[in-house]
Order: sequence, then structure tokens, then C-alpha cells
Amino acid sequence: MTETFYDVLRRQGISRRSFLKFCSLTATSLGLDSAYAQKIAHAMETKPRTPVIWLEGLECTCCSESFIRSAHPLTKDVILSMLSLDYHVTLMAAAGHQAEKQLEEIKKKYKGNYILAVEGNPPLNEDGMYCIEGGRPFVEILKETAADAKAVIAWGACASYGCVQAAKPNPTRATPIDKVISGKPIIKVPGCPPIAEVMTGVVTYLLTFDRLPELDRQGRPKMFYGQRIHDKCYRRPHFDAGQFVEKWDDDAARKGYCLYKMGCKGPTTYNACSTVRWNDGVSFPIQSGHGCIGCSEDGFWDKGTFYDRVTDIKQFGVESNADKVGGTAAAVAGAAVAVHAAASVLKKAKKSETVTGETK
Amino acid sequence: MSLKAAAAELDNDPQTAAGRTVYVYEIPVRLWHWINTLCILVLATSGYLIASPLPSTPGEASDQFLMGYIRFAHFAAAYIFTIGFLVRIYWAVVGNHHAREIFYLPVTNPKWWAGLLRELRWYLFLEKQPYKYVGHNPMGHLFMFVFVTLAAILMICTGFALYSEGAGLGSWQDVLFGWVIPLFGGSQAVHSWHHLGMWGIVTFVILHVYAAVREDIMSRQTMISTMISGQRTFRE
Amino acid sequence: MGVYETQGFKMDNSGKRVVVDPICRIEGHLRVEVNLDKDNVIRNAVSTGTMWRGLEVILKGRDPRDAWAFTERICGVCTGTHALTSVRAVEDALAIKIPENANTIRNLMQLNLYVHDHLVHFYHLHALDWVDIVSALKADPKKTSELAQSISNWPLSSPGYFRDLQNRLKKFVESGQLGPFSNAYWGNPAYKLPPEANLMATAHYLEALDFQKEIVKVHTIFGGKNPHPNWLVGGVPCAINVHDTGAVGAINMERLNLVKSIVDRSKEFVEQVYIPDLLAIASFYKGWLHGGGLSSQALLSYGDMPERANDYSPGNLLLPRGAIIGGKLDKIHEVDLKDPEQIQEFVNHSWYKYADESKGLHPFDGVTEPHYKPEGPNFKGTRTRIEQLDESAKYSWIKAPRWRGNAMEVGCLSRMVLGYLQPKQFPFIKETIDGVLKQLDVPVTALFSTLGRTAARGIETLYCADLQVKQLDKLIANIKAGDSSTANVEKWEPSTWPKEAKGAGFTEAPRGALGHWIKIKDTKIDNYQCVVPTTWNGSPRDHKGQIGAYEASLMNTPLAKADEPLEILRTLHSFDPCLACSTH
Ligand code: HEM
Ligand code: HEM
Ligand code: NFV
Ligand code: SF4
Ligand code: SF4
Ligand code: F3S
Ligand SMILES: [Mg+2]
Repeated sequence: MTETFYDVLRRQGISRRSFLKFCSLTATSLGLDSAYAQKIAHAMETKPRTPVIWLEGLECTCCSESFIRSAHPLTKDVILSMLSLDYHVTLMAAAGHQAEKQLEEIKKKYKGNYILAVEGNPPLNEDGMYCIEGGRPFVEILKETAADAKAVIAWGACASYGCVQAAKPNPTRATPIDKVISGKPIIKVPGCPPIAEVMTGVVTYLLTFDRLPELDRQGRPKMFYGQRIHDKCYRRPHFDAGQFVEKWDDDAARKGYCLYKMGCKGPTTYNACSTVRWNDGVSFPIQSGHGCIGCSEDGFWDKGTFYDRVTDIKQFGVESNADKVGGTAAAVAGAAVAVHAAASVLKKAKKSETVTGETK
Repeated sequence: MSLKAAAAELDNDPQTAAGRTVYVYEIPVRLWHWINTLCILVLATSGYLIASPLPSTPGEASDQFLMGYIRFAHFAAAYIFTIGFLVRIYWAVVGNHHAREIFYLPVTNPKWWAGLLRELRWYLFLEKQPYKYVGHNPMGHLFMFVFVTLAAILMICTGFALYSEGAGLGSWQDVLFGWVIPLFGGSQAVHSWHHLGMWGIVTFVILHVYAAVREDIMSRQTMISTMISGQRTFRE
Repeated sequence: MGVYETQGFKMDNSGKRVVVDPICRIEGHLRVEVNLDKDNVIRNAVSTGTMWRGLEVILKGRDPRDAWAFTERICGVCTGTHALTSVRAVEDALAIKIPENANTIRNLMQLNLYVHDHLVHFYHLHALDWVDIVSALKADPKKTSELAQSISNWPLSSPGYFRDLQNRLKKFVESGQLGPFSNAYWGNPAYKLPPEANLMATAHYLEALDFQKEIVKVHTIFGGKNPHPNWLVGGVPCAINVHDTGAVGAINMERLNLVKSIVDRSKEFVEQVYIPDLLAIASFYKGWLHGGGLSSQALLSYGDMPERANDYSPGNLLLPRGAIIGGKLDKIHEVDLKDPEQIQEFVNHSWYKYADESKGLHPFDGVTEPHYKPEGPNFKGTRTRIEQLDESAKYSWIKAPRWRGNAMEVGCLSRMVLGYLQPKQFPFIKETIDGVLKQLDVPVTALFSTLGRTAARGIETLYCADLQVKQLDKLIANIKAGDSSTANVEKWEPSTWPKEAKGAGFTEAPRGALGHWIKIKDTKIDNYQCVVPTTWNGSPRDHKGQIGAYEASLMNTPLAKADEPLEILRTLHSFDPCLACSTH
């Protein structure tokens, strides 16, 4: 039999005792009684690796690239021992007809039991032919594969929200996957790309607990997307103190002051960057001096320049932020008041001249 | 009722006979008005500075808390503003009928439309005199409904939604207002609309204060003193 | 088009048509159709980009300072190179000069991309074209160990190490769940390695998978993350502070030490694992020298890695610049991205529309208007069920770029050949290539092949891994000399810009010559055009019927088995195709 999840843990130096403890903790956290711990342990020791079909639509492959950066667990172990990555165009050995056949076989053999992971999204304009695989529109393959999946993972901003190709005017009508897949649990793991350990964390959660983690209102796993970058940013004391970088490479930048005035979107962005950090915890955008651009937020491409703090409001056309719209309204009101007041004074003066003759 | 008939009725309201004084705004309404005014001054100033902070100050971060104080002022005023608004709603229920005015628009009442038209013409210098009102004139009423009542709801909903982001998932702010964030399409958009709301209110305040002063001088009834004493006196 | 001749190839579409779609182990969506004669030799090749996103359309009207982030998302594999090209285009348009440190840090990031991208390509995208994983099960671990130790000092080479790995592999294969290795061409006669070499290569496939994530930490340190690090018009966003209080918030000594350890280890891995593997594998395939395509005729490189900041002339570039046409290796032509006569894009066979398609357009005046229409007398299928494309009509989402009217090959082979031809400026390239040729005992013409391309990529990785170490030394020396500046903000505010401006930015992306052209009007992007390495290499035919580099490289290659397109994959993979890039 194949290497199971338990084998992987063993190889990573985890004793049988702590493995069983892990299983009973798992059972407790799922609200199950202790008899289930045994069942979980059994399942983990014997279960075949969960088949995963990973589809790619309109995207840039940075989600796959990010995925292979995982340090814990190592991607190698994820691929060899935890799941069975049965279809992944960027990594698989087969091509052409053999690849298509592989997809069909997995769908049939593991009907209702495989996980569909989607990177990128389907374009809907031109009958979907802005993204063609095997001579037909990607959107068809996506829908067919989703139909028999157990659960669907939307990797990255592309699958979750549309990402860069869906930025205005979205020429291909690139569409988030939850708009074309229905009736399946979908978990969104946004980011451009998402953090590697967040990706493998979500996968291991799915495999370990055999269910989706708790999701927030927008379908994201709470455990990684429950807080804003700003809430755990190490530059936060400078924000509270009112100490900001005013210009790139100024003294404040060298001292690591807050990047708020440089347009940092940390206060409006939900992601794990300031806690988990990137690439094995080495750094994250803010630590390396650039503000967060909000890459895990819906439609972050269309919120005006990345370097403005007060950003644009779509509904007011190409280029308008709250200060422009509101400031103009207030200024117009002020001017109108001044003119009106002057006119009123004139009118009153005139009236008091004529009113003497008039009796009401 | 035709607009014309409605207008005739308005002009001959016995309540507004010259020299008469009517008790209009009860104490809670007046008190709310001025507390609310102060809150908005603090909220708009601090809110503006949250979006466009003052120049940085040097020194250790731990020695300073400028942004923290500004945000504190904002949140403190926000709570007073919100509680005030809730109390004002309560008073709308138990107070006199003028206390209810700013919470609805009598759009089915032709008198109200006639009055709105007249008021508009008065501001365009097309009428010699405006009608007299015991409560708010229809134009003021319209503006107050949109830029105070609705705006307050917008600011409270978006404000507490933003507040919930710091308070965290599961906080009462999140439970009550968290849904606002996806509704607007994300946190950044909520900020933008909250910010825009401020400008809406600021614009209203400019027009409102001007109108109050002007009507006090030019119309046939008292204004500012009414919001202080509660009594409205008709001059002619 | 029937039978015709172009660029020295006889195109004949009369034989059996074979379709490969999807082409896997590449970035993005690519389709290839070939015609085989009765001996299974390719006599006609058609390469089709099957995706389009419209970045050039999306960029219109946006802030030029944001363009790097948009264009960076053209590709997550060659991540950063579009961003760098973009900030260079904006800086060129606005005449912004960047500080010395910014230039060095950009070089470091770009070199880092090369090392990472090439390594991952070799092991994870390309190796399985040469390495038969299933055959590795038959290997003798002891002999594998001997083989490994005979070619390198790499410590992970004991018999026990290979035995453990083989056992793990056995379990994996026995499970019946082969994952990404399912349904491939194992056992195909075109595989030539003995089991021991296969086992060694498989071990390194996994080691490289572990190690590649270390390499990119240089991006993480300077750019905050990888994929998709952050960039800045006017310099780099990471401030340097090695002396003062608050240094923890910037590039400090600890960060530089971390970079040092990464670039050292990367160099070691390339020297002790990648290059020995490459040579070992190549020695078994040196009889298979197909796939040269255009490489002996038409090569193009823009050059990259300016040694001193703000000087983009060929003499200051650490990667060579120039063009070769007509197979005349003794004449290196000057390349000018702004000359309207040099670079032009045609759309006669691409799913785009021009007002007048008899002419090509220089990117400053480039137009991107999609026009999907599969057609032509030989087209089979429907609009949404393509069975066979017709190369006499429009057939790809890739445009056809030409240099002075010539289809060109770009990429590592172009760069290494151009370097080889200029030994004075690039002694390292010349010496290394000569060494490799000697060790494999093949003539210099062997470079013009699939294997030559793969070898050139390895040699380039060695060169870049070494340059990385040197550029870091240079950065530290410059900081030591008292310069910690990283950004020039004089023209940061759009109010300081002229009403209209235009500029071109270039890099050598890992896959080849990359250019971005920007026109700015009233502080907003008026036109933005990208001509990308895979646009060059994956180009469809042009108005004259000239074929692109992929198509040319497949010509006249014999297939061992008509129904297993292993050789097609091998040759296409030697270019490292990136379709998201090509169509953008
Ligand atoms: C008249 C009422 C109010 C005005 C004029 C006002 C104004 C503002 C402005 C201009 C901002 C900056 C927005 C931006 O980021 O661009 C702001 C932020 C904020 N306001 Fe208000 N606000 C009002 C009421 C409230 C209320 C009722 C709350 C409820 C708690 C609230 C909570 C907040 C929060 C949490 C922020 C974000 C602070 C931060 O990002 O650090 N506001 N407000
Ligand atoms: C933030 C600033 C202010 C806001 C949001 C505001 C809002 C309001 C509202 C909602 C009402 C209706 C009260 C009710 O029916 O409950 C009102 C009435 C009134 N306000 Fe203000 N007010 C502001 C500032 C002022 C100031 C500074 C003055 C004095 C110059 C003023 C003078 C009046 C007067 C005279 C009335 C009575 C109007 C009438 O009788 O129809 N207000 N205001
Ligand atoms: N072609 C291409 Fe790229 C590269 N290298 C970029 O310019 O891969 Ni995605
Ligand atoms: S979400 Fe971002 S990183 Fe992932 S594929 Fe899309 S563009 Fe690339
Ligand atoms: S740098 Fe950004 S995320 Fe960090 S404290 Fe400042 S505004 Fe918040
Ligand atoms: S830009 Fe993206 S990577 Fe993190 S810090 Fe912001 S969410
Ligand atoms: Mg282009």
C-alpha cells in the first residue's frame, strides 16, 4: 500500500504516541467522542491519498509557483505522500490525449471523492474561447470537473475574484469560479498569489479533518483570513504614534516607519502576511518597504493607484476619490452660499425701499 | 387635493398667525441637536485626519500616540453620536409630532410638495415670501432626512463595520455590522463611502447653517432661537 | 498554403496530422499540430497560443507608476521580469535616473529569477523528457552512488540515500496512484538513460523541489514576497539602513547576511547538482541533435544587467545584446527598440485585427484588438470544438513579431551564442561553452539543437549564479563607501511630468528578449504594448508565410512512436514555453 498520512508524520519524526494524541485532539475539536479518535487514526493509517485535480484557466501560474514554495509541510511530501496530484498541466508528465484521458479516468474512478483545485478563472466572452484546452472552452472543462468533485478550492485572486484579467474593462469577461460552479462547497484562498504555507495549510486541513475549515462571510478560511495585515503589522506602533514614511527612501523609510501615507492597504486587507509572512517567514511586502497593495481583496486592481491612501470610488467614473467628490461638493456649497447671501442682502435692501408703500 | 388648494391651506394655517408663539422643539430634541453638532465637528475633523494624517513627528514610537489619540477622539465621538441618534429615535416615538419629522418624508402629501416648490422658488428669488411653518420647511426637511437621518445611518453602519475590523471576528460590532463590508465590495470601498459620507454631511452643514441664519433674518418666523428655546414666534 | 519553402524549411502539410493539446509541463495553454510523413518525420508544424487576457487593453488609462504590478501578473513563473521591464519603460519615458544601489538590487533580483526559473525548468518541467522515472526502480543504488560520486562532490550520494529514495518511489508506484507521473511515456524508446542515471536524476528532481524555495528568498528580502515581489518607479522600495537606529525595519546587516548565504548555496547547488546532471544526461543524448530550428539563422537578444546604473548601452550589459540574421554569425547587428523599422508585430495569422494587415506595427503604435475566428479550408470542427486548425488562416492568440522582417529565436541559446561570439566582453561564457563542448566531445554546431538550448540554459545558470555573488559584493561595497540611497523621488509626483511622453523598457527575461513600450498622456497610460519572449518563439506565421521558432524547431524531427509525442515535448520544452507571457 502507499505511504499514508501517518507514514508521513512518522517519517517526520512524530511518535505513535503523539500521533494518537493528535487524533484524539482532532476528534475533540470536531465535537466527537473518544471512540472516534480510533477511527480517525485508522483512516489516517490506511486511507489512499486523496486525488486532486488542479485546473488552470486564465492565470499566470503564480499560485502553482507559490504552492511549491511551501516549507512546512514540504511540497515534496504533499505531492508524494499526502495527496495524489493526478492532473496538473504545469507539472504532469503526460500531454495531449494522454493527459485528457487521465482527467477522464480520475473523474470516473473517484467520482464524488476528488478535490478540485482551480487556479485562474474562465473567460466567458467569445463563447469561452479566450481560454482553450483540448480545442474547447476551459469553462466547459471546469464545469464538468466540478460536477463530480467533493469540494472545490479557489486558489488565488483569479479563481476567487477574477484578478488582473478581470480588471476594468475585463475584455474577456474573466469570471470568478463561484459564478459558474454551483452546488459545491467552495473555499476561497485569495491572494496574488496566496502564501505557500496558507495553501498547504488549507490542503492539510481538508485532508486531516475531511471537511472545509470554518469560512468567513466571503468564503475564506477564518484561520488565515480573519484579520487584517494592519492588525498584526510590526510597524503598527509607528501608525499609532503618527510616524509615517512621507517619501520613498526618506529617513522614516530607513527607520521602518508606517507606510500608510505611501498608500499601504494593510488597514483594508485580510491576509496572513504580517503573521505567517512569506517564503518560510523571511519577510512580507511591508517589511521590505513597499506598502501592501491589497492583493487578497476583491477587485484590488480597480481601487485607484496603489500609492494613494484615499482611493477611487468606482461609481464616480474613471478617477474620483472621496476627497475630490466631497471636497468639490462642499466647495460648491460654500460658493453657492456666498453668492446667495450676497443676492439676498441686495434683495432685502431693495425690498425695504419698496415695502413702505405696500400694505399687506 | 390640487397643489394650488394645498398652497392656499398652507398660507392660511391659523397656527402660524402673526405674533403667535408655538412650542415646537422639546428639550431632548434641542439637546440632541447641539450634542450632535459637536459630535459631527469632532468626527469630521478627526476622520479627515485619519485619512490624511498630520506630518510625522520624530522620536521613539513608544513616546507618542498622536494617531492613537485622533482615532480615540473619533471613536469616542462616534459612540456619543450613535447613542444620541438612538435616543433621538426613542424621542421620535414618544415626543411631539415635530420630533418625528426628520425620520420620514411625507411624499404622499400634496401640501408638502407645494411647500417644497414654493421654498425652491423663494431661494431662487422668484417669490417675495416663503410660507410659514411650525416645524421644518419642506426643503430643510428633505435635506435633514437625507443628509442627517440617512447619512447618520450610513455613517453608523459603515463606521461600526470598520470598527469591527479592529474589534475582530465575533465581536458584537462584527456580528451586527460585519455584513456591511462584503455589501460594499470590500474594506477599502467601505472606507471610501464612509469618507464620502463625511463630505455629504459637511456640505449639508454649510447649507443648513446658512439657511438657518438667513431665514432667521429674512423669513416671517424665528429660527435659531427656536432651536435654543424651543419656541417659534411668527412675526407677521 | 500546401507545400512551400520558407527559411530553408520545406513545409508540407500532406501527411498525417497529429494534435498535441494540452502541451503540459509549460506555463499556460499551448496547442501544437504537426504533419508526419510515412516515416513519422515532422514535415509541417503549427503552434497555437490558446489563451488571451488583454493586459494591454486593461492598462489603458491607468497610472504609469502602477503598471509594474499589472504587468508582473502577466506571469508568475518569470515573476518580476515584467515588473522590471515596466519600471524601466516608465523611467525611460520620464527620464528618471535610479541610484546605484537600486540598479544592483534589481540586478540581484533578476539574476535570482534566472537561477530559480532555469533550475525549476530543468528539473520539473524538462527532465521528464529525458529521464524515465519508472526505469529508476530497476537501478542499483550502489552503482547509482558510484555514478553520482564520479561526477560531483555533492554530499547526498551514499548508496543508502539512493536506496531509501528508491523504496519511497517503489511504494509510490505500487500504490497505483502515480499522481503527476501518471499516463506518461515511460518505456518509450526515445529514453536513453540507464536506470542508475534515472534514479540519480529523480533524486535531484526532489532535492531541487526542496531547494528552489530557498533561492527565491532573495526576492522576499528585497521585494517582500515571491512570486510577485514589489518594485518601484525610480528605484527599489526597500530602504537600506546598516548603521542607524531603526535598522530592523530595512535592509540591514542581518538581511545582507541572509542574502549572502542564499546566493552562496545557490551557486553551490548549480555547480554540484544541476551542471553535473546536465552533462551526465547530455552525454547519453548527444546523438540526438534535432530541434535547432531558427537558432543557426536568426537570433535576438536585448541584453540585461547593467553594471553601472542608468547606462543601457551594450558595453555596460552583463548579458549580451544584438541580433544575428541570415545565419551570418560574424555580423552582430545593433538593436534599437525605438527604431520603427526594427521591431514590428504582424497579425495576419493571429486572432487580432489591424486596419491594414499588410503592414506590421511598431509597438509604440501597436494595436491590440481581439478577433477570434477559426477558419480556412482546412479548418475542422466548430467555433468551440477545434479539431484541426488551418495555418493558412488566423490560428493563434499569439501575435507575430519580426525583427527587420525576420522571425527570430530568443532566449538562453541566443544569449549564450551572442556571448560566445564576443569573448572579450564575455570570457566566462566563451570558456564555459568551450569546456562543455570539449567534455561532451561535440562540435560547436551541436549548440544549434534542442540539447544545445538545454545546455545553454545550464551554462547561463552557472554564469548568473556567479554574477549573483558578485553583485551582492558590489552592493555591500557601495554601502560601505557611504551610499545607501535606493530611490529617486524627484519625478514621483505626476504633476512633475510632461504632458506627453513615451519610452521603452527592456530586460532579458529567462525565456528571452522582453520589451514594454509605454505612451503617457496627461499622466495616464495612453498606449502600452508588450512583446514577450514567447511571443517571438511561439509566433505563428506572418504575411510572408515565415514560421516562428517553435514551428521551425519541430521541423524534420523523427518521432520514435507517432502516438507518443515525446520528441515534440522535448523540443518545445527546451524553449521553456510561457503562454501567459506570450499573449498577455
Ligand atoms: C458624522 C459621522 C462621521 C464622520 C464624518 C466620520 C468621518 C470619518 C472619516 C473621514 C474617516 C476616514 C475614512 C478614510 O479612511 O478615508 C473615518 C474613519 C473611521 N470612522 Fe468615522 N466618521 C463618522 C462616524 C463614525 C461612526 C459612527 C463610527 C463608528 C464607530 C466611525 C468609525 C470609524 C472608523 C473605525 C474609521 C477607520 C479608522 C481607521 O482606519 O483607523 N465613524 N471616519
Ligand atoms: C453638525 C451640524 C448640524 C447638524 C447635523 C444639524 C442638524 C439639524 C437637524 C437634524 C435639525 C432638525 C432637528 C429635529 O427636527 O430634530 C436641525 C434643526 C435646526 N438647526 Fe441644525 N444642525 C447643525 C448645526 C446647526 C447650527 C450650527 C445651527 C445654528 C446656526 C443650527 C440651527 C438649526 C436650527 C435653527 C434648526 C431648526 C430649523 C427649523 O426650525 O426648521 N444647526 N439641525
Ligand atoms: N515568455 C516569457 Fe516570460 C519569461 N521568461 C517573460 O517575459 O515567462 Ni512567463
Ligand atoms: S491569483 Fe494572482 S498569482 Fe494567482 S494565478 Fe492569478 S494572477 Fe497569478
Ligand atoms: S505599514 Fe500598513 S499595515 Fe503596517 S501599520 Fe502602517 S498602514 Fe498598517
Ligand atoms: S499586497 Fe498581498 S502579499 Fe500580503 S501584504 Fe498585501 S496582501
Ligand atoms: Mg503585445
